[in-house]
Amino acid sequence: MSKRLSDFRPVFVVGVGLHAYQKYSPTPYVALGVTAIREALADAGVEWPEVESAFVATALLGMAPGRPMLRHLGATGLAITHVENASASGSTAFSLAALEIASGQSDLNIAIGVDKPAMIELASRQAGLDFLERERVAAFTHFALLAQKYTHAYGATPEDFARVAVKNLANGARNPYAQRREAKTLQEILAAPPLAGFLTPLQSCPIGEGAAATILASEDGIRQLGIDPRRAVRVLSSTLRSERIYADNSGFDAALTEETVRQTLAEASVAPSALDIVELHDAFTVEELLYVERMGLCDPGDAPRRLKAGHFDIGGEVAVSPSGGLIAMGHPLGPTGLGQIAEITRQLRGEAEHRQHPNAKTGLAHMVGVGAVCVAHVLRREA
Amino acid sequence: MSDRLEHPTLYEASELGPVLLGHRCGLCGLAGFPRQSLGCESCGADGDNLKPATFTARGALVSFATVHRHLGKDIAAPFIMGEIGLEDGPLIRCTLSAGAPSDLRIGQIMIGALEHNPLAEADVRELRFKPESV
Repeated sequence: MSKRLSDFRPVFVVGVGLHAYQKYSPTPYVALGVTAIREALADAGVEWPEVESAFVATALLGMAPGRPMLRHLGATGLAITHVENASASGSTAFSLAALEIASGQSDLNIAIGVDKPAMIELASRQAGLDFLERERVAAFTHFALLAQKYTHAYGATPEDFARVAVKNLANGARNPYAQRREAKTLQEILAAPPLAGFLTPLQSCPIGEGAAATILASEDGIRQLGIDPRRAVRVLSSTLRSERIYADNSGFDAALTEETVRQTLAEASVAPSALDIVELHDAFTVEELLYVERMGLCDPGDAPRRLKAGHFDIGGEVAVSPSGGLIAMGHPLGPTGLGQIAEITRQLRGEAEHRQHPNAKTGLAHMVGVGAVCVAHVLRREA
Repeated sequence: MSDRLEHPTLYEASELGPVLLGHRCGLCGLAGFPRQSLGCESCGADGDNLKPATFTARGALVSFATVHRHLGKDIAAPFIMGEIGLEDGPLIRCTLSAGAPSDLRIGQIMIGALEHNPLAEADVRELRFKPESV
């Protein structure tokens, strides 16, 4: 019978670091990545030569960006694995790094995500099949279609969707690593010309550049390297799935999230109601409403009411995207999933400063990637 | 001389109106669009198990959105994109005929028609959908 992450030895996040997400700049990706790695090393209190392997996540940089970046930390000969899984690249790198520690193959490794904006063609465009819509449906139109369905099903209003951006932009304003650090009112978010349907630009994530790094360790690694175990956050579960054929026409996005999150919560033996922090794939506002419902955080159709009542705020029942999420923190692709892990780690340690959710103990990270793929992890503070 | 089609591999004209070119799996029955023989998305059957099939351009409106920005060069925004659950099975996305979103409601029956795109050559027609009752 196949095994799960939780069937192996425990895995912990012991260090996190980021380069702030930002608009495209002349800064080379190497400088972005090295900044995040050095911050993560300092956070963990370990030296680069102690890192046994590196998983490098990127979706846009091209072939083999790892070694030109990592050489500046010292060419130790460590194993380097590149990971591309669209928007879920960072999450997938984290999953592979966690499994490597869990299996006993290494005691200390790093997952690093780094990217810069670039125009690339999706491989699906080269799959040899034509479609009626061709280039007339951008990502925001896909989600505008989902929003229209949600509106039809539950009577939601444009304001219901825009409130996701109000909350996440307010959270991002408190995050020094966020690309968008300015809170906006409901009126400001709705005033701009829409992209498609009633989705306006501030209800869509910015694609910028940045880097995020997480250092993972085993209990042996923590002990041998003198890492502070009180700041270590355990990885309880790791789940990757991809889209299936679904019976109805409600859309694969929410269905894939539901089955992936259900599986990862089961592996972690955590109920949805026990989650204190959720960092989810809110590339577009409608996604947050759909996903919190399908994750089991509230009943179908009840997300707008709970959002408006502050249940998903920092200090609410469960803080959803306290980092600002993709809407405010940004979505540089390769780093995004690892940035979620960094935020959850800081929240569970009680180190999130101005955006700290009180008494946070358990967190869920969730990313979706074009394809579609879905990756979810549950983390818990045990000390 | 008859009109040319914008996507001749995706649809064709028939006496009863346009039909979409897809396939049906001989093993699991899944109806797929567009037509291909590489493998059934449900059960993986391939080759001769995937039988060419034509689907009537008629189905229920699943969703719609007015598109204000897009990457296509062959149509001017705004236009309305629709999702239609064909009566023969597949879910497709297709441009809707000119009209207002207020004319549309999810669940209503839509039918396809071969229409001229103002940005295309004069003898080129493309498949678009519109409410059956209009």
